[in-house]
Amino acid sequence: MWGKSRAAKQRELRIYFATDIHGSEVCFRKFLAAAKVYKADVIILGGDFAGKAIVPVLTEDGTLRARVGGEDVTVPEADWDRLAADIGKSGLYPVRMDAAELDRLSADEGALDRLFRGEIAAQLQRWCDLAAERLDPSVRCIITPGNDDPVDADAVLAAHGRVECPELELCDLGPATMASLGVVPTTPWNTERECTEEELGKQISDMLDQLPGGRPCILNLHCPPYASGLDDAPELDATLKPVIRGGRPSIVPVGSHAVREAIKRYQPVLGLHGHIHESRGAQKIGRTLCVNPGSDYSSGVLRGAVIELAQDGSCLDFLLTTG
Amino acid sequence: MTSSSEASVPPGAARAGASTSTRLFVRQTSGLVRDLGIPAATGISLASVAVVNTFINFNAGLTDFAKSDMYLPLMAGAIIWLVAMLAYRYLLRAVPRAGGEYVYLSRIVSPVAGSVAGLGIAVVFTYVLSTNAHFAAQFTPFMLSGLGSAFHSTAIANAGNHLTSNIAIAWLSVVVMLIVAALSLFSVRIVARIIFWLIVLQVVAFVVLIGMLAVNSHADFTSALATYSNHPGAYQAIISAAKSNGVVFGTSVAAGVAIIPFMVLNYNGVLYSYYVGGELRRPGRTYLYASAISIGVLVVLWVGVWALLRARIGLTFMQAQANLGAANPAAYGKITSLNSVAGGLGYGMILSGDPITKILFATAVPLAEIAVNLAFLTVTTRVLFAQAFDRLLPVSVAKIGERNHAPNVAIAIVLVIGIGFCFLTSLVNLGSIVALQSLFFALILLAGGIAATVLPMRRANLIETPGMPDDARKKWLRNVALVGGATTVLALFTVYELAAHSSVYGKFSLESILTLVIVLGAGPVIYVIARTVRRQRNALDLNMAMRELPPE
Repeated sequence: MWGKSRAAKQRELRIYFATDIHGSEVCFRKFLAAAKVYKADVIILGGDFAGKAIVPVLTEDGTLRARVGGEDVTVPEADWDRLAADIGKSGLYPVRMDAAELDRLSADEGALDRLFRGEIAAQLQRWCDLAAERLDPSVRCIITPGNDDPVDADAVLAAHGRVECPELELCDLGPATMASLGVVPTTPWNTERECTEEELGKQISDMLDQLPGGRPCILNLHCPPYASGLDDAPELDATLKPVIRGGRPSIVPVGSHAVREAIKRYQPVLGLHGHIHESRGAQKIGRTLCVNPGSDYSSGVLRGAVIELAQDGSCLDFLLTTG
Repeated sequence: MTSSSEASVPPGAARAGASTSTRLFVRQTSGLVRDLGIPAATGISLASVAVVNTFINFNAGLTDFAKSDMYLPLMAGAIIWLVAMLAYRYLLRAVPRAGGEYVYLSRIVSPVAGSVAGLGIAVVFTYVLSTNAHFAAQFTPFMLSGLGSAFHSTAIANAGNHLTSNIAIAWLSVVVMLIVAALSLFSVRIVARIIFWLIVLQVVAFVVLIGMLAVNSHADFTSALATYSNHPGAYQAIISAAKSNGVVFGTSVAAGVAIIPFMVLNYNGVLYSYYVGGELRRPGRTYLYASAISIGVLVVLWVGVWALLRARIGLTFMQAQANLGAANPAAYGKITSLNSVAGGLGYGMILSGDPITKILFATAVPLAEIAVNLAFLTVTTRVLFAQAFDRLLPVSVAKIGERNHAPNVAIAIVLVIGIGFCFLTSLVNLGSIVALQSLFFALILLAGGIAATVLPMRRANLIETPGMPDDARKKWLRNVALVGGATTVLALFTVYELAAHSSVYGKFSLESILTLVIVLGAGPVIYVIARTVRRQRNALDLNMAMRELPPE
């Protein structure tokens, strides 16, 4: 498929792309390690880095009490580090609090929202610092948000010197220019970065119309193109429960029409997508190689994709990885 | 957005602002409220079992072992799956996503072990597609006979007599494959609806059969058989002919034990709610209840129908019919035209007086096989996808059609290979080549058992509860290993029984062993070839695809 002209072309850039790690400490550390293991020139985390849940850890009489995995756990206060590390592995945020604070958070959505934003921002700051500490200076580290990431997280990324966050911007990667957007079409969950298909199409066009003519382009769009095989997810009913047909959850395409149209219109060399964890794969739409590495973050497994670009920006090869 | 694993957020998960009793705060993000309860999970499990195929297995047991009875094998099969259910509970907790043994082995044992299982399953499933089509084709004369009786058309009934040659069966198998392929080109939603209604039809046929056996007496059956066969003493004549042919009647424990592997295969699919483990509400509990209920329902249904068959039809007659039909079809055909392998459906057919039930019984097996093949085709193409994404096969294999959004290339590949198998199955004696197919399925169960056994050693972090004291943690992990070990032992017992009765389940010959080795070794061999070719082309090294990343 990509073999005929490969011999004549030299590799210019190796990209490692992963996405949807949802607060998993293990997966982020693996993401940083991927730069060395895969000898990548640039590593890209394509959105949905924020975790989804806080585990309140109650402090009572020198003990810590939490409900994890459906079971009540009580440990001495001295075991906080170990307990927090265990909880954090799968992307949950452990937060110490007393009963009064727990009651207050339960009754005050605003306070809970602020706590979530604080935890996400703090984790992101730690991760950026870790990137600065661990990555070779020659490796570029790009983190762009997805629909599940709070908007305030962008400021943390923008303020950090080691990490780039070219959200809604064009970013020069050498042989090609990358355009990034974490917004997705409306979902049943009403998350923070959603819009209509028309608005999404306009935002993509506004970015790509600034591209110099003939310049190879990479689209780093969190949402995959509609009906591409990269966007198959369980169909949900009005109560958000999976629809069962023929003894199996009904699987339907849930990607974006606007993204598909943009790919057809602009024919980028590469489409980097995520959003649908179970729809790992690679498909060609016209001349564009579209990749969704999928996500298995709760198992501590980092799914990714290694992609090589030639000097002329064309896509030489790719490999989906499980690490 | 949507992820299988997200529903594994601990039970009692609450949205922001929930009461303190839930003790978990979940923010508004995508994919968190997709939970399936016990009824839905039970439906998934039951729908994954081809209920009417039990008559095919009953017939195989009666034919292959003298003095066969089904009580012991049905119960033993249920117990083996009950133990396996406990082991798969831990696997589900560790890796709460679809993919079955391929995913479990690759996550828990090693990616290479996963790829061996993955490609092996793809090859064997492609062959199973053709054997299912072959089954449906073999039932075509029975179907036409029933339809002819329902519509009072001797032309339709007699048409079946012209469709018994090997070449006719081969072409009918191809027609079944083409029907399955054509249906697969529709959207997944329509395919799912087709599967659903085909399953409903076979379940209805099964339930109607139970009712019919319950309301008719033994005398009713002998009389109906006589009428159907135009032979007043057909019932006794079949028993006498069987005696003359050396058929031994009665029951024995040894035969019951030997049949257990047939019944283990019979329950295959009953735990399949683990395939949607990530979607289940309180996954461990829901999966356990759904699986236990499903096994219980199947035990009641199958043991019940077997008891009714024994009471109304008679064990001696069933043993005589199955063995005479297999050993001396000419002698059997002189007495009756009732298909000797149709079992309960055949008995229901001759007992039924109205055309609707005749049509139900006549079409139950072909329609069930089409439903099974539609599901198998999806699984097989998915496995091909996985291999293509891993660059072991050309990535074009996974190409999605622009117009119908279906995996046309993968479907075409499976169809072509499946049709090839159809002809080979019908026209050439593949017995020695595919003899170890049953063994392969037992090995899959064994793989699940081994994955559960080594889970505490390889990936304890996936099943440990944070903060658990060391003593409790050790005890917990030991229990997981014990349950996995018990499943492994029972799977090994099944493997032993398959091997001990290799004349029935598949002979160990150079061809059969070589075939099994090729099937299991295909993954690594293709990996080595693909890697070598890619290295020569200076492409990305496949070795990177499954390299464990160090978190520190």
